[in-house]
Amino acid sequence: MTSNKSDIIIAIFLLCFSGIMINDASNIRDLGFEGMKADAWPRVVLWLLVVMSSVMLGKSYIQLKTEGHKDNNTFQVNFSKFKNAFICFGMFLFFLSTLDYLGMLLGGIAFVFGLLTFLGGFSLNLIIKHLTISVLSIGFMWMVFTFGLRVMLPEGEILRVW
Amino acid sequence: MFDVILQAGASVLLDPLTLGLMALGTLAGLLAGAIPGFTIAMGVILTLPFTFGMSPIQGLATMMGVFVGGLSGGLMSGMLTGIPGTPSSVATTFDGFPMVRSGKPGLALGLGLWSSFFGGMISAIILVALAPQLAFLGLEFGPWDYFALIVFALTITVSLSGDNMVKGLIAGLLGLFAACVGEDEINGVARFAFGSDHIRQGFAFLPVLIGLFAFSQLLSDVEDNVKAKSPLMAKTADPVRVEHRKAIALVIKNWINLCRSSFIGIFTGILPAAGGSISNILAYDQAKKASKNRSEFGKGAVDGIIAPEAANNATAGGALIMMMALGIPGDIVTAVMLGALMIHNIIPGPSFIQDEPLLAYGVFIAFFAAHFFMVGLQAFSLKLFLLVTRIPMYVLASVILAYCAIGVFALHNITFDIWVMFAFGVIGYFMRKLGFPLAPMILGVVLGKLAELNLARAIGTSDDYFLFITRPWSLFFILMALVSVLFPFYQNASKDTLFSKLFVPISMIVLSFPLFLMQSPVRMIIAAILLLAGSYFVYKRMSTLQAT
Repeated sequence: MTSNKSDIIIAIFLLCFSGIMINDASNIRDLGFEGMKADAWPRVVLWLLVVMSSVMLGKSYIQLKTEGHKDNNTFQVNFSKFKNAFICFGMFLFFLSTLDYLGMLLGGIAFVFGLLTFLGGFSLNLIIKHLTISVLSIGFMWMVFTFGLRVMLPEGEILRVW
Repeated sequence: MFDVILQAGASVLLDPLTLGLMALGTLAGLLAGAIPGFTIAMGVILTLPFTFGMSPIQGLATMMGVFVGGLSGGLMSGMLTGIPGTPSSVATTFDGFPMVRSGKPGLALGLGLWSSFFGGMISAIILVALAPQLAFLGLEFGPWDYFALIVFALTITVSLSGDNMVKGLIAGLLGLFAACVGEDEINGVARFAFGSDHIRQGFAFLPVLIGLFAFSQLLSDVEDNVKAKSPLMAKTADPVRVEHRKAIALVIKNWINLCRSSFIGIFTGILPAAGGSISNILAYDQAKKASKNRSEFGKGAVDGIIAPEAANNATAGGALIMMMALGIPGDIVTAVMLGALMIHNIIPGPSFIQDEPLLAYGVFIAFFAAHFFMVGLQAFSLKLFLLVTRIPMYVLASVILAYCAIGVFALHNITFDIWVMFAFGVIGYFMRKLGFPLAPMILGVVLGKLAELNLARAIGTSDDYFLFITRPWSLFFILMALVSVLFPFYQNASKDTLFSKLFVPISMIVLSFPLFLMQSPVRMIIAAILLLAGSYFVYKRMSTLQAT
C-alpha cells in the first residue's frame, strides 16, 4: 500500500511523461506506405496511459478527499529507509561510469568491494573479508566468461596500458 | 513422429555434457528455490548468460533444470523452517512445517519431493500430448486472433497480479511502450530515440527483464540494514534423511488428490501470468474442501503437502504448453525462456513444433528428465542449502549484482545493455515500492512487438475493423479479456449481490457464442455444454433469489 499523495504525484508524473512522448511521436517519420503508420501503435499505448493515469489521479484525489491522507509510511522521502538502495545505485553508477578505464575485472572488484563495505561495515576484519570475497568472486566469474565462454569483457584502459 | 522423439531423446539423454549441464541447472534451481528472497525466475535469469555459448538444446535443457529444481527447492526451507523459499511453496508450509515439528521431517520432505515428481510427470505427459494439438489449433489464428490473444494475455495478467488493477494496467502499458522504443519492425523507422544511436536499436529484451526483475529484487532484499547483514535464515535446520518408500506409498494412495492438484496446476499454468504462486494455494484449498479430515489440515495433513507440491510442479508444464504452442509465455520464467530461445534465433509460435521438432521434443524430454535429477539431487542440495543459508544477504546481493552486469554485457558485447539493465532496475525498484505489479510490465515488454506486428498485419490485410469481433477466435479472446477485466470486481463483490451470483454462468453463456461460430463438431459440443450449464445456473440462482 502506498500513500494517496504519492499516487497523485506518480499519476501527474506519468501524465507529463505521456505528454512528452506523445509530443515526440509527432517526430516519427511517415514513409508514406499503406497500412499502419509507425507512430500509430505508440500513440494508442500512450493515450491509454494518459487515460489510466488520469483514472489513477482521480481515484487517489477522491480517496484523499474522502478518507484523508492515508500514509503507511512506505514511500515517504525517508533517506534511512532507502539508504542501501541509494548506495547500490551510486556504486553501480560509479562502476558503469568507470568501466572504460577500470574494465570489468578491476571495476567489478571495486564495485563488489565498495558495495560490501558500505552495506556490511568498515571494521578491519570485515574489510579483509570483503576484499577476499570481491577478488575471488569477480576473478572467478571473469575467468569463466573470458576463458570458458570466450566473451571479451571490457579490459579497461588501465589494464590495457599495463 | 517417434523418430523425432527418439532423436530428440538421444540429443538430451545420450549427451553427457547436456546431462551434466542439466544436473547443474537442477542443483542451481533447487538452491535458488530454497533461499527466501530468491525466486525461480531469478535463478533462470542468472543461468541465462551461461547458455549463450551453448547449443539451443543444451541451453534450454539447463534452464529447464533450473525451472524444475526451483519449483521443488522451495519446499526445503518451507518445511524445515516455516519460511517458504518461493511464493509457489507458500501452501506447502501450512502442513509441511507442522509435520516436521511433530518429528517427521523425513516423511514431510519425502511427500513434498515425490508429489512434485508425480505432479511434474503428469504435466509432462499433458505437455507432450496437448502442446502439438494446441499448436495445430494456433495455425488457424490470423493476425486479428493473435492480437486479441495478446490483449487477453495482458488483461488476465493485470487482473491476477494484484489488488490495484489501474496500477497493473499502467505497468502493462509501460511495458508495451518500452517495446515501442527503437526502430519499428514494419517500416524500420526510429521511434523515441532522442538522437541516440544506441536507443535507436531499441532495448534488448533480456537487460530490461534482468533489470526489472533481478536487479530491483536484489535492491529490495538489502533494503533493511539488519536483515541484509543477518544470515539468510535466522532459523537453522538439521540435515534430514528423506523417507522415500513411505512417501511414495502415501502419494500413490492419495492419487485422486495428486491428479486433481496436478490438473489445477496445469490449468493455472496455461493461463498467462497465473503461475505456481496461485496454483499451490488453489490446490491446497480444493484438497481441504474435498478431504474427509478437514480438521487435520494445518496440523501436518498428508493431503495438505501433496496438493500444493503436485500443483506447483504441474504449473510448469502448463506454462510450457502456452509458450511452445502459441509463443505466449505462461509466466515470468517462461518469458525468460522465450528470450533465451530468441537469442538462438528461434521464435516459438504455432509452427514452432513443426519447424523445429527436434528442439521442441528436446524441451519436452528435458522437462521429463529434470524431474529425475530433481529427485536425485535433493539430498545433496539440502546439505548445500544449509551451508548457503549462513551467508548474509548483502554478500550474495553484491556479488550477484556484479554478475548481472557481466551476464548482460555478454549478451551483445555492448556496455549500453548494462545501462539499460541499470535504468530498468531503478524503475523496477521504485515500481515495487509504489505498489505497481511487475508481471504485466514484463509481459508488455515481451508481447509488445508481437502485438504491434499482428495489429499491423491485420490492418494491412483488410481495412474491415469488424473482423476483430466477427472472427470467432478473435471474438473469443476479446470476450475472455472482458471476463478477465471483470474478474477482480467479481472477487471483491459481496456474495449476495446479483453480479456475484450471475458472473460465472453469464460468462459461460457469452463464451459459448464464439465457439458455436467455429463450426467444428467438438467445439460446438463444448459450446452447447457451456450454454446449457450457464443457463441452468442462471435459472437456479434466479429462482433462489426470488425465493429469498
